[in-house]
Amino acid sequence: MEDNGHISKRKFMEELRRYQKGSVTRRHFLGVTGLGTATAVLGAAVPGLRPRPAFAQDIGDRVVLATWPNYHDTANFDAFTDATGAFVQVNVFGSNEEMLAKLQAGGSGWDVFVPTNYTITTYVGEDLIEPLDVSKLPNYDPAAFDPRFADAGTVDGTLYAVPKNWGTTGFAVNTAHDGGTPLATWKDFFDRTKTDFSGRTMVHDYQLTTIGNALKYFGYSFNSVDPAELADAEKLLIEVKPHLFAISSDYQPAMRSGDAWLTMCWTGDGKQMNSDMPEIAYVLGREGGEIWSDYYAIPKGAPHREAAYALINHMLDPAVNAREVLAHGYPVADANTNALLPAEILNDPILYPAQELLDALEFGAAATLTDPNRAELLARFKSA
Amino acid sequence: MTRQERNWLLVAPAGAWFLVMLVLPLSVVLVFSFGERGPAGGYVPAFTLEQYANLPARLTAFKNTLILAPLGTLAALLIAYPLAYQLAVRTDPKWKTILLVLVIVPFWTSILIRSYAWIFILGGRGLPALLEAIGIEGVRLIYTPLAVTIGIVYGYLPLMVFPIYVALDRLDKRLLEASSDLGARPFRTFLQVTLPLSIPGVATGCLLVFILLMGEFLIPALLGGGKVFFVGNALVDLFLQSRNWAFGSAVAFTLIVIMLVTVTIYMRLIARLRLGRDDAQIM
Amino acid sequence: MRLYTVVVYLFLYAPIAIIALFSFNAGRHASQLQGFSTQWYARALKNPFVMDALETSLIVAFVSATLASVLGTLAAVGLQGIRGPARTVFDAIIYVAVMIPGIVIGIATLIALVTVFEVLNPWLAALWPEGAQPPRLSMGIGSLIAAHTMFTMALVIIIVRARLGTLEQALAEASADLYATPLGTFRQVTLPLIAPAILAGFLLSFTFSFDDFIIAFFVAGSETTLPIYVFSSIRRGVTPEINAIGTMVMVASLVLLIVAQLILRRGPRR
Repeated sequence: MEDNGHISKRKFMEELRRYQKGSVTRRHFLGVTGLGTATAVLGAAVPGLRPRPAFAQDIGDRVVLATWPNYHDTANFDAFTDATGAFVQVNVFGSNEEMLAKLQAGGSGWDVFVPTNYTITTYVGEDLIEPLDVSKLPNYDPAAFDPRFADAGTVDGTLYAVPKNWGTTGFAVNTAHDGGTPLATWKDFFDRTKTDFSGRTMVHDYQLTTIGNALKYFGYSFNSVDPAELADAEKLLIEVKPHLFAISSDYQPAMRSGDAWLTMCWTGDGKQMNSDMPEIAYVLGREGGEIWSDYYAIPKGAPHREAAYALINHMLDPAVNAREVLAHGYPVADANTNALLPAEILNDPILYPAQELLDALEFGAAATLTDPNRAELLARFKSA
Repeated sequence: MTRQERNWLLVAPAGAWFLVMLVLPLSVVLVFSFGERGPAGGYVPAFTLEQYANLPARLTAFKNTLILAPLGTLAALLIAYPLAYQLAVRTDPKWKTILLVLVIVPFWTSILIRSYAWIFILGGRGLPALLEAIGIEGVRLIYTPLAVTIGIVYGYLPLMVFPIYVALDRLDKRLLEASSDLGARPFRTFLQVTLPLSIPGVATGCLLVFILLMGEFLIPALLGGGKVFFVGNALVDLFLQSRNWAFGSAVAFTLIVIMLVTVTIYMRLIARLRLGRDDAQIM
Repeated sequence: MRLYTVVVYLFLYAPIAIIALFSFNAGRHASQLQGFSTQWYARALKNPFVMDALETSLIVAFVSATLASVLGTLAAVGLQGIRGPARTVFDAIIYVAVMIPGIVIGIATLIALVTVFEVLNPWLAALWPEGAQPPRLSMGIGSLIAAHTMFTMALVIIIVRARLGTLEQALAEASADLYATPLGTFRQVTLPLIAPAILAGFLLSFTFSFDDFIIAFFVAGSETTLPIYVFSSIRRGVTPEINAIGTMVMVASLVLLIVAQLILRRGPRR
């Protein structure tokens, strides 16, 4: 099923040993080594040999994935469909709040969704998320994950979610328009929005990052729910609003077309834009900001549960995961995947920022998701 | 079975349907609007006027809506009227149907897809690039109130064109001839004969567009860049972002009351203009 | 004046031209043309989610428009003979139904049905015979059809009633004088006269339901209609596939309309 092209001899022997020891499945082995493709090609060439879905059991013809924009390599879904016969429907969301709202209202119809670290305890508390059966995820190798980006998936000793990618929230700036003075802090971000970037700046339509980064302007915690600190952030946001190009989490098209020059931005979007247009730089505010980790999880009552497990397992396959990283530019916390990635990705300063920048970052806090004051603040900002 | 019993039997299914799918939901909204938000969102039963007391927090959204809806309606009317007039009065009957159909055809493509096409047209690589090529620089269109207005006029044009067209089409051509035979200038004929006769169509079109604009959220969200905030957007955010069902219900109920009041006043005004007969048929 | 008409039509068709143009784009991005290709049409037609969404949309639109036309017509006829406070209440309900914004209908229906289902489901489970899998009420195609029917039924009642209002009561009375049964009068006199109004109501209802996004977004549960599919995939940027779907829907509607027009034109000459 996977077609990962080249694989070193050493890697091949390693995989063969792992397979013989039984620490990886046959499918994993065939996939990583590329033998799967060979078998499939052979199978297809010989009439009657080809197994209809090249999969142990029939998982149905579809699986519904709720995820974020620009976050996958569609070729990986095609490969999944080829291997299992199940098509992947991708529903894209703008915020964790929106995902939670859909699940709370019931009948979302999703099989797999992609919650961010700070939301998982709320899903567990609201009984909206399914505990994962690790035996159905043979590709999940907990030992290979950096615990910093995997811990949030386990709540009270139960595994609810497995890590997808991690990343940071900084800003992207079109350096052709910075007049030779680079932006380095959230203070720059908001101050310059009022001056030379007026009418060209975008902020997210998302309470966590828009309010959080405004809080960083004053040096407060990204996660603050303190009324006085939130009041400062609100004042700043309302001040800059007349200078904004748009309030939207879909900023790539405007940045690429040159309509916008500056935007709050996630790692992968920064990488994607920087690769195509080197003048767009990705910057982490020196004051700090958000570091986050996304997870794959299965909501309660998922209509195609077997397909959900199959899809998560497929995405966790290091070869597949590596292709995802190459396509979307978000780092993974999985050593097995990193082993397959080229050095220039692993040394990329957008994916792996300097340690002193990383040290200043904070993980989002569960309290921000349900805090009514932050939600109201965003509404006041948008209607101002 | 008496006549009366038979009538009731005919009305019963529709009545039951309205009861379950309209009266019940609206009652739930009313009940929820006196409740409270749960700790993680949703609704917790209570009896409090807190949500209504909190309404000023969405004052701007209501204000924006009450400005946009009439202005958007007016803009659609100004664009639609000449077109409807041209189609009904000045067009060869052979072409009438085709031209009329061509007004609706675009509306069989989802408004979402069409709005994205507008994002492209109004964005930096669309019209502004064309304008730049002919020397007009620095025009910004996308994510402005103008973009929202264009989107709205575009989205609701047929709803305005149709009723006006129907009203004008019914107009007896002999009246126009008589008027001009009596020496009236074309413009005077228009003012004194055509315009008054088309008022019922105008009234209907305005009503339809106004009602839809009061709840609009997609076009402002897509073409306004999230900076223009209407009651519809406030409702979507309250139910899909902050999950505050209680406050959302209070906002929804307030919107319903505002609409009932404005539309009733509007219909009274129309009736007072003694044009009520055709209008009564719409509602 | 003529120029004005041309400009308005340009305005109406500019986005359509863009959609059709990009549906033939060889590349994936909706902002740059990268050569000609029809692959997106093939992709859309092969994509089971598109086909499913289309099927769901057609079913919902057809069923709700049919229900609305039948029940709405019956109600309009019945209402003719009802006077007094009951009539006032019913008129008020219809008035409210067409006046409430779709977004409010969607939200209200969602929270009402979710709440009612939460109460009913344990009862159903408790009352259901031992051993059998009790049904679970949830949001889905049923709630969507019910919500669309509610709104479109109000439209049908208004349209049909307007037509009934212009009919001469004398006709029905004459028919009754000729000893026709009420049903006979309805079938042979009233129905043919109001048929165009019913047809108009049906078409309006169908169009509304097929194109509705806002109500469906809230009440469709896990069902995906075409507008919902478009909305959820559009967030990662419009692909030419979406443009292909839009173009196909439009062309199909246009063809249907032309066929209908041809049939109707032939009608009177027969």
